[in-house]
Amino acid sequence: MRISVFGCELTGLVTAGALAHVGNDVMALPVGHVKVDDLRAGRLPREEPGLDSLLSQQVREGRLQFEADWAKGLQHADVLIMATPSWRMDRAEALIKQIGETAKGDILVVNQSTFPIGTADRFQAKLKLSLAERGVVAKVSVVAMPDFISEGSAIDNFMRPDRIVLGCDDADSIRVIRDLLRPFNRMTDQIKVMSTRAAEYTKYAVNALLATRISLINELANNAEHFNVDFEEVRQGLGSDKRIGFSYLYPGCGFGGPSFAADVKSLVKTLQTKGYDADLLRTVLSNNEAQKEVLFRKAWRFFDNDLRGIKIGVWGLSFKPSTATVENAPSLKALESFAAQGASIKAYDPKAMADFASHWTYPSQVELVEDMYQALDGVDALVILTEWKMFWSPDYALMKRLMRRHVIFDGRNIFEPGVLQAQGFRYFGVGRGEEV
Amino acid sequence: MGVETSAAWQVLQRLAQGESGQVHLKDLFAEDAARTERYSLTLEDMYLDYSKNRISDEVMAGLFALAEQQQLGDWIARMLRGEHVNDTEDRAALHTALRVTDGESVAGFAAQVQPEVRAELEKMTQIVNKIRAGHWRGYSGKPITDVVNIGVGGSDLGPLMVTYALQTQASPINLHFISSIDGTQTSNLLKRLNQETTLFVLASKSFTTIDTLSNAETAKDWLEERITNAKTLMAQHFIGVSTKPDMMTKWGIPSENQLLFWDWVGGRYSMWSTIGFPIALRVGMDEFYALLEGASLMDAHFGSAPLHENMPVLMGLIDVWNINFLNIQAKAILPYDARLKYLPSYFEQLVMESNGKSVNRQGEPVSYKTCPILWGEVGPNAQHAFYQLLHQGTQPVMCDFIAPIERDDFDVRSDSHKNESLKDQHRLALANCFAQSRVLMLGDAAIPQALKPSYNTPFKHYAGNQPSNTILLKSISAKTLGMLVALYEHKTFVESVIWEINPFDQWGVELGKLIAKETYQALLDPALAQTFDASTAMLLSKVKSV
Repeated sequence: MRISVFGCELTGLVTAGALAHVGNDVMALPVGHVKVDDLRAGRLPREEPGLDSLLSQQVREGRLQFEADWAKGLQHADVLIMATPSWRMDRAEALIKQIGETAKGDILVVNQSTFPIGTADRFQAKLKLSLAERGVVAKVSVVAMPDFISEGSAIDNFMRPDRIVLGCDDADSIRVIRDLLRPFNRMTDQIKVMSTRAAEYTKYAVNALLATRISLINELANNAEHFNVDFEEVRQGLGSDKRIGFSYLYPGCGFGGPSFAADVKSLVKTLQTKGYDADLLRTVLSNNEAQKEVLFRKAWRFFDNDLRGIKIGVWGLSFKPSTATVENAPSLKALESFAAQGASIKAYDPKAMADFASHWTYPSQVELVEDMYQALDGVDALVILTEWKMFWSPDYALMKRLMRRHVIFDGRNIFEPGVLQAQGFRYFGVGRGEEV
Repeated sequence: MGVETSAAWQVLQRLAQGESGQVHLKDLFAEDAARTERYSLTLEDMYLDYSKNRISDEVMAGLFALAEQQQLGDWIARMLRGEHVNDTEDRAALHTALRVTDGESVAGFAAQVQPEVRAELEKMTQIVNKIRAGHWRGYSGKPITDVVNIGVGGSDLGPLMVTYALQTQASPINLHFISSIDGTQTSNLLKRLNQETTLFVLASKSFTTIDTLSNAETAKDWLEERITNAKTLMAQHFIGVSTKPDMMTKWGIPSENQLLFWDWVGGRYSMWSTIGFPIALRVGMDEFYALLEGASLMDAHFGSAPLHENMPVLMGLIDVWNINFLNIQAKAILPYDARLKYLPSYFEQLVMESNGKSVNRQGEPVSYKTCPILWGEVGPNAQHAFYQLLHQGTQPVMCDFIAPIERDDFDVRSDSHKNESLKDQHRLALANCFAQSRVLMLGDAAIPQALKPSYNTPFKHYAGNQPSNTILLKSISAKTLGMLVALYEHKTFVESVIWEINPFDQWGVELGKLIAKETYQALLDPALAQTFDASTAMLLSKVKSV
């Protein structure tokens, strides 16, 4: 099939790459600040495992091209896919306007962007109106297909999805999309067809549920400390209950990322402007903001409410491993709270240091170092914010030699408290280790 | 021999006994349509209409002569320079030095204190910014979200009045005020707050005020329920504001948490100093500086404008005319905006604690009236309460009407129904403000011709002739509030100069405090009650028997 993907952020690029990979003729067009020249030169807006090679292979084999001119994109395709960042509704509106003004035949738009509930219906009505005004007789269908890909495993998520939520009430469109997704939907039928509004709401509901689960686990873990309970043991007990299961059960120092919290926030806001409230979700969000400072609070108490002159080493800045992004990451808030108390900070992250430097606005500096052990040189405490694999089995002896005081605040519970205590470390996790 | 025997006073006395003392306001307006043009004044965002006073050019000339005779200009200059105009306490009254925006414009002691004033403002800025940014932490590491100001009188009313007036501005800090000695406010408030996120500000000029220290002890007990480390408790949960660093240190407040002001700042004139800390916490330093700037503007005007174009001078002299020559002994402060709810209480302290005196600077009893009884209330509410007395009572009362021309607490560009309703409510409030001062002035003459027959009964008679000022502010902002408060400070000073009294001491409030100590002892030890008068002894015994 001939496909045009509008939007060259993570979702758009993965979609374009995967569809080209299975033989489609794909054109990818940026809608935001991403530049076509960068894409053509292989400079991607986000680092994502496997994406680079997937895209370059498809370009090489002629099934994928990058293009700036939307008109060419509209001419090129049978199916138009919209993968705009949720905060670029203005560009999506512009695209819909252009389609309405230029389309000569049937239109099928697949919207992957997280836009407010009802957007697909609204776009469809707009397109129908524009076509009617121009006297064009054609079929118009806008379907919602929210993306459920996660950074770090985006390609796998797209090619081997747990489920595909398809919001569409037109049988012909469903047939076309089913055929388009056939290569990714083989073993069992993963496509859940529902109304466009239900599909749009499902995306928000999934994020709301996961965010709530994480915040609740964090609260339970924080409180376990007060009862001298190791929450890791509790986690095993919880996860083995079939009604609960193990996923999203790890406590930590807060969730982040470009869309997770933003989607929940946007849902709360939409509800509020309609005159309704979402008490629980508001609490989930404020809890998460407070959780980003959980390690700071431990250090504050450990160092007797005075962090002036204290040296902190930091491992991990990205909002999760395998990504170079710090958007909404706990690192920004946590390190600002340390810096504001006069602590000096050395930090290491395998990928996200550049992004961190561009997001850091607090006046005092964070020293970014090139090696994880360099971040420990002479520090009074190590703070772990992201569970990159390289941090899991470090050289304890080297750490002890480098650190001035042997104190670890672990926001991702990557260590075993007993092992570290035996090595002579004071260890404080989230719901694990010593209470302070 | 006091001012009442002076030539200028006698001239005014004669005027009051003649036509000027009898004439009705409605006739003054009927005779002279240009009156308001002459008897009004604009200063930046403030407009003063004083034409609804029983004054004429002759009266005003007499008042200016009185001011000249009392060397008002000289007194103003001496106060602004920082001379010891507070003679009974032998010190300056330099609230104006706290809000100097341009260091060049002051001289003498007022210039000498500038470095300390700036240093203290700088220290306050650091603390304010830290708290507002969420970086001032409670004992457990959570950011402070609630700040409780414990203070009374000047350490309470200014910040309370201003923060209430600026309530429409968003703030990261929830601010609370505790003042009363009885503990009710403290007990109620502490039920709602969390030790982890609460900071107390102890504001006391002397740091001996029993009202404040008793509330502070209760706050400390409450914190100790959760905080075991005494050093942390003080370092993270108390900030002191006082002129007495040693007393703050003795109470346990570390020097980093001490904000200072000076004995040359009177309590009721102190909101411009670090006593204004809660204001800055609520609305930020930029707004606090806007408040100072507004006051500074009024200071410059007061110090330089000629008497007949000088707002505080005009208001002060007209009050003197009303009080001493027209025998009006009551003044009502009537703001037509609920945000100015605490303005009357603030002015009650400012004016009555300053000029509620009956001996002159030489210690001789004065034979003329000084400060009238001053009270007030948000105007639209007061219309349903004490305006009956203003319109038909036996007391002559002078009124100050105060209203903002614009409101900024809703989106003026929006044409939503709610905003249209709010705009309409504002028009209604202004209409009421203007209608009331007009009826107070005109009396029956305001009754429309067509309705006259139905008003033809003694019970619907309106005497009118009640004088008033109307002050319009562009809007209620930090700047206009600064101007307004400085205006009343200075007009109060003007009156004190005419009356030859010291407005900067307050010996009248001292004895009661002393006797309260004795009485407290008698409550603990009933045997002591026998030495009291019969009434007090009986009151004490009633408490004992409960």
